[in-house]
Amino acid sequence: MITESTQRLRSAVPLLSQATLLNDLRLFGVHPQRHLNVSSRQAGKANHRPPPRNKVEIPGLETVTYADRMHYVPGLSKPVFPRWEMGHKDPRFYRSPPHQDMPLYKEKPCFVFHQRTSILEGVRQALWLTKTKLTAGLPPQLLSLAESPANQIADQDERVQNAINHARFWETTEMEPPKENYCSTLLHNLLQLCSSLQASQPALGKRMLAEKYSLTASWSRGEDVFQVKGQNGLLLSSATPLPPLADRQEVEETENHVLETFYPVSPTIDLQTTHLYSPTHTSTGFRSDYPYPHAHTLYFLEGVDRCCRLRPPQLRAKMIMFCFANALARAQTLAPQGVLEQPVCVQAVGTDGQTFQFVFFQLNTTELHHHHGVKNQVWLEEDVPLYDSARLRPLMRRKQVMVPAGLVGYKPGTFRKFLSLYLHGAQ
Amino acid sequence: MALSCLTRALRGLSLSQTPLLSSQVQNTFWMQLFVFKSCFFGIYNNLDVIAYFSQTLAKVRPDITVQLPLPALSHSTHLQLCRGFITTASLDQNRRFWKQREKYTIRPIGMRKTGGRDHTGKVRTHGIGGGHKQRYRWVDFQRLRFEAGKEDQAFEEKVVEVRYDPCRSADIALVAGGNRKRWLIATENMQVGDLIKTSGVIGRMAVSANEGDSYPLGALPVGTLVNNLELRPGSGSVFIRAAGTSGVLLRKVNGTAIVQLPSKQQVQVAETCMVTVGRVSNVDHNKRIIGKAGRNRWLGIRPSSGLWQRKGGWAGRKIKPLPPMKSYVNLPSISAT
Repeated sequence: MITESTQRLRSAVPLLSQATLLNDLRLFGVHPQRHLNVSSRQAGKANHRPPPRNKVEIPGLETVTYADRMHYVPGLSKPVFPRWEMGHKDPRFYRSPPHQDMPLYKEKPCFVFHQRTSILEGVRQALWLTKTKLTAGLPPQLLSLAESPANQIADQDERVQNAINHARFWETTEMEPPKENYCSTLLHNLLQLCSSLQASQPALGKRMLAEKYSLTASWSRGEDVFQVKGQNGLLLSSATPLPPLADRQEVEETENHVLETFYPVSPTIDLQTTHLYSPTHTSTGFRSDYPYPHAHTLYFLEGVDRCCRLRPPQLRAKMIMFCFANALARAQTLAPQGVLEQPVCVQAVGTDGQTFQFVFFQLNTTELHHHHGVKNQVWLEEDVPLYDSARLRPLMRRKQVMVPAGLVGYKPGTFRKFLSLYLHGAQ
Repeated sequence: MALSCLTRALRGLSLSQTPLLSSQVQNTFWMQLFVFKSCFFGIYNNLDVIAYFSQTLAKVRPDITVQLPLPALSHSTHLQLCRGFITTASLDQNRRFWKQREKYTIRPIGMRKTGGRDHTGKVRTHGIGGGHKQRYRWVDFQRLRFEAGKEDQAFEEKVVEVRYDPCRSADIALVAGGNRKRWLIATENMQVGDLIKTSGVIGRMAVSANEGDSYPLGALPVGTLVNNLELRPGSGSVFIRAAGTSGVLLRKVNGTAIVQLPSKQQVQVAETCMVTVGRVSNVDHNKRIIGKAGRNRWLGIRPSSGLWQRKGGWAGRKIKPLPPMKSYVNLPSISAT
């Protein structure tokens, strides 16, 4: 390249002598070894920067800077000026103060459970955090609601299968709708099917669906402060509260229940810690004059948020935590300081578009500080499939149809459970 | 890539702008356009550019007299050369800054392939390149890392998961204890649900340790199979981490311990160095069948050079004595020398 450029220059400027030319070339850094015209990285040389020198400040000694000279002077130190305040607020240049100076700062950290938290121990950890006794399976008095002929939808099974087919096949012209689409479509189809019973059950009209409401509930267990914060699923709220499932005697029997621990893992593992919080902050997410103040059922969609995929135990834990938080927020508005007179109940349904999880939570006590005393109660029905598979093309192995195309293995009992949770509290 | 090349080229142009005389101003636009074009095609020497420019412009527009800033050639400060822009992919990926995080995380960290090149772009290690995409899981080699506020207490951890790690031959285990989770090198029989203990205490009696537990060398009985050996107390394990390897605690001499490494070399370390009991997992690592050349390429290993070289002294059987025992105890500090 050097020879080429030399020739071209010579052709352009015949008068220039060869010696000056070579000198100039060297001056301009075209020398093969020097690489003055490229960065050190491109030239293949390591740029060894010295480690930053630590500045020593000696009290009583004044450093001589080049501030009054207004330009760099070798040997004098760099002046340090105070930060310029512009005198007005500009959000583009806002600098937040350090956390320690903020008004909400507390020394003791708070453990926050939010909608993306995936706790390691799953349901066991949620039970410890909410001081709850678990009962597997939903009670028969709740399940019998959908069995009575008055509460049957006309052509129920066919319409549910149509709802599934709509969500899985008919909604799109693409090959298969993604999970985040068919999951929410299926849920809304089933809810719409349930609400068609409003003609025979007028109390179903006093319900309201709310999406993207944010919730805050605070409580303390032992030494630690906990909060449930954030937006959770779809909330079906009603104008009348849910009746409790366990009577007073059963509630008092929970005193003997001992909460399960999981040594060596701490119950606060995987919860987010923060020092900025208000320890008594509680909000249901709605104004006090909202006509449907009682949370009835929470619907959780799993797989909709691509950034946060929860495995089934973690999803069940999240359902329990948010049921508890809704109930606690409601209880603290009912009785800010005192003892709860009536248990507060919240239900939850979680789905990934195929399997369903059902939770009934009953808040018996707001005294969560100690481990003894009355516990809260939860009924949990886990991993109930609505259908076995819904495939557009059959699954073939060795020219044999392993799984046929279309909706296979529809389970009518699952929708009956869904319906009975919906009808609960409407009589 | 093209956009970044373009911006870099434009930045280089602004650096190389020369103070021109008023008679040269009319040519400036033509010249800059030309310089930009030639820069884009890889000619990044201004002298080339100017010479070319004068020639072609004389052909295209003979009415314009080209005044090259040639008198300025003798003053290097007057005409600055264009800073060359990088035409290859950025070398940032060959730096190791992605490992230097402030906070420990168990999330897999995305890596980019270096192809055996270092941060200057030169080949540092031959035979590396390609392969399946891998993610780095940050293994905590300092086993005796206490939780904040619980210093100097022996603690237990529960194994949550044992899994394959693409970045090493041994398997790794996710353990949870207290308020934290971390990755460790799994030992041979480690299973999900196991409790493993870590203690920094050297008692009067030797402990009967289970596999996967971690103790200082001084607390273990002589003859124990160990792995994940530290060389200096608290520095993190360095030796015996590969799949299926184990060392033997040979003897303990006044405050030091002598361990035989898998290579049969013996090292002498302080007895407070932490060590894990047992053998490293994935014992059958040396028995796997690669099967074909392409599987090595999946692993990111390139074939060796096909150049024929005469066999020398490296080939054939050698009988040589064991190297002398290496001592890592009481090394003189850097400030003392």
